[in-house]
Amino acid sequence: MTFRHLRIASQLLFLCIFLFLFRQTDYNGSDHIPYAVNIFFRWDPLVAFTVMVAKRAVILVFLPSLIVIGLTVVFGRVFCGWICPLGTLIDMSARWIKPLWKWRINKRPLKYMILAFVFGAAILGVQYIAFFDPFSILVRGLTFALDPLMNAVVTGFFDGIYTHLPSLVSNITEPVYTFLKETILPFKQTFFYLSGLSLLFLMFIFFLEKFERRFWCRNLCPLGALLSLLTRISFLRRVPFKSCSKCMACSLKCRMDAFEQEGRLMTEECNMCMDCMDFCPDKIVGFSFRKPVNRTKMNTSRRSLLKSALLGMGLPFVSGVNPAFNKEHPYLIRPPGALEEKDFLAVCVRCGECMKICIQNALQPVILEKGIECMFTPKLVPRFGYCEFNCTLCGQICPTGAIRKLNLPDKQKFVIGTASFDKNRCLPYDKGIPCIVCEEHCPVYDKAIKFKTVQSIDQKGNPVTLKKPYVVETLCIGCGICEKVCPLQGEAAVRVIAKSGQSEDGADDTGYGA
Amino acid sequence: MDRRTFLKQVMLWSAGACFMPVFRITPDLLANEKVPARVVVANGTDYPSILKKAIESEGGMASIVKNGSKVVIKPNIGWDRNVEQGANTHPLIVKTLAEMALLAGAAQVMVFDRTCNEERRCYANSGIKDELETIRDKRIKCVHIDDRKFVPVQIEKGKSLDEWSFYRDALEADCYINVPVAKHHALAGLTIGLKNIMGVIGGHRGRIHWDMAQNLADLNTVIKPTLNVVDATRILTRNGPQGGNVKDVKKMDTIIVSKDIVAADAYATTLFGKKPEDIDAIRKAWESGLGEMDLFKMNIVKLS
Repeated sequence: MTFRHLRIASQLLFLCIFLFLFRQTDYNGSDHIPYAVNIFFRWDPLVAFTVMVAKRAVILVFLPSLIVIGLTVVFGRVFCGWICPLGTLIDMSARWIKPLWKWRINKRPLKYMILAFVFGAAILGVQYIAFFDPFSILVRGLTFALDPLMNAVVTGFFDGIYTHLPSLVSNITEPVYTFLKETILPFKQTFFYLSGLSLLFLMFIFFLEKFERRFWCRNLCPLGALLSLLTRISFLRRVPFKSCSKCMACSLKCRMDAFEQEGRLMTEECNMCMDCMDFCPDKIVGFSFRKPVNRTKMNTSRRSLLKSALLGMGLPFVSGVNPAFNKEHPYLIRPPGALEEKDFLAVCVRCGECMKICIQNALQPVILEKGIECMFTPKLVPRFGYCEFNCTLCGQICPTGAIRKLNLPDKQKFVIGTASFDKNRCLPYDKGIPCIVCEEHCPVYDKAIKFKTVQSIDQKGNPVTLKKPYVVETLCIGCGICEKVCPLQGEAAVRVIAKSGQSEDGADDTGYGA
Repeated sequence: MDRRTFLKQVMLWSAGACFMPVFRITPDLLANEKVPARVVVANGTDYPSILKKAIESEGGMASIVKNGSKVVIKPNIGWDRNVEQGANTHPLIVKTLAEMALLAGAAQVMVFDRTCNEERRCYANSGIKDELETIRDKRIKCVHIDDRKFVPVQIEKGKSLDEWSFYRDALEADCYINVPVAKHHALAGLTIGLKNIMGVIGGHRGRIHWDMAQNLADLNTVIKPTLNVVDATRILTRNGPQGGNVKDVKKMDTIIVSKDIVAADAYATTLFGKKPEDIDAIRKAWESGLGEMDLFKMNIVKLS
């Protein structure tokens, strides 16, 4: 049993915890989420810093990030080597994806540049973290693509047997299916926009392994960059500080390629995998607590950091000339409890947790309708799924408070939009056919959809008593169940329009912001 | 009609004739009409005990549940509402029925509903799932709807519907106990036993609303409950079928038991101060010969 074995055990343990929490990110039969299933986002110091900078406030839910910071200051980048589930998955993929292609330029500065860029944007209250935070990328890839895909494949397999083969066979397979449904499969099939893109993001990280091992961690990961900065003052150091000239095994086999040309270890590039303790034929490698002395230079310069930060600060201004960002979006309905739009965009890290937990699969990622800054933020798509009246899960799961935790009575009064009828299509108005399925489903007391009973004449000219629905705007909260259940084909005849004035600094009359 | 379509139709029809009789309903109505419909109305606050008395009066559970039979209990679990809000069948009634069916020798007791709100929330909030779990018997299956089990059924006696998909477990049950809750419903007037069948049909149920009364009558020609138990322990008098506010809920402490679904519904209307003929679905069901709607022609037995 060496430290290397311990490290592998730790990696597997945290990967299992991560996957377990991912599966737990669902309705569990109780209205409350019992423990911090979103912990991976709450101890992520990158998320904590960017959100607090963008919101200009100290947010207490991020206290667990101090653990990771403390861990790093004492032990170095152990988070990357021992805990990070994406890192573990990358390590596991090494068995199948071998680094065959060469790309010889020094790419390490990139991660610091990305970090500076993300911070620069955060200073101006814009989050680009969606594209760079490892957990956001991982959770979105799982939520939007891999998890639904797995369910579709497994369910399709068992459904095929159930439907097409004699019950002799399905009597054997159905118990297996039931077992899988009770253990690893999600409760029901989910569907998401941007599933392909989210998967591509994730796959790209693994594709980069073709160039070098842990490509993402060495060169791109802004969380890794942040922890690298802290590692400069960390106490656990490798001895000897350089690879001895005898066999060079440690520097040649290092998964982070953390040794520079002269063989000195770049402490902040080492993820403490402790493989070199095992590789060393003479067993002279060890790790011990030392005064933090850095014998190598950082792989970045103040100038390039400044430039990246300036780019991050400059880019948001581009959205000022993008009509998509500034115009009103009648159908972009934020979840109940969402902060006012400007704050929401600053605080939401696009992790996808709210969409994962949404009990009706109603929250979907925004595509490009509001510009690239808003990509992957949640919106309600009522025709696809409505907001369940008694459910407060999205506010409970949101790791950053972009969606506030509302208690049930407040949530049931929280207005996210207002339904409005298209009387040209609504059946009682248009065709003289009785319907009011919308009224039946309206959960608000005492019905935000009411009706007038009128004597009318149907399309065949026969007299008919009709109940014609209308919306009581002071009661409607925009949950969208009416839009969901409207029996018309295609678009519903009743649609929820987003709460107006959401983008406070957008939208003058022309639709093109100042 | 050209020869090709003619041949096609002949083949289709004969294929239908070969396969469909599985779910064909035998015309047993004539026999029923001779004896007046019997409706047992039980009053009291101890729901399990009044329910047992009512069923005893109706011939006892053993008369409808044969040893080793597959029993379906179909409550209304449609909404994410709690017991007090009166939108779903009272869990104690469901539990008592399940216990009685087991006692009578049922091999399996299935309890399910195709819900309107999210199914897990409805099963939990209605209290039905929890209450059934207290029995701790593996023969009770309180499960969610499995979409693969909806099978298309030709509705031979249908006047407005000729085909709709039904839940296989409901069609194949040896004994089907219909356990609706009596509620207000804006379009249908009231929703009681006849409308409870909405929970075992597939497809887009919103379309049923376009000619609700006749459609409900048609659907009810396919599945005829062995027993109807109307939960009127508390009734939702306004803002149905979802309800949500206990102000609209009226405590009645009544359970109605009948083998005649129309008679059970007809009697239940009186609890709302209505007449059976006020409810279109009851009238249409009566016209279709599904049961008795005339309160004076029924044998109403009151227990208390």
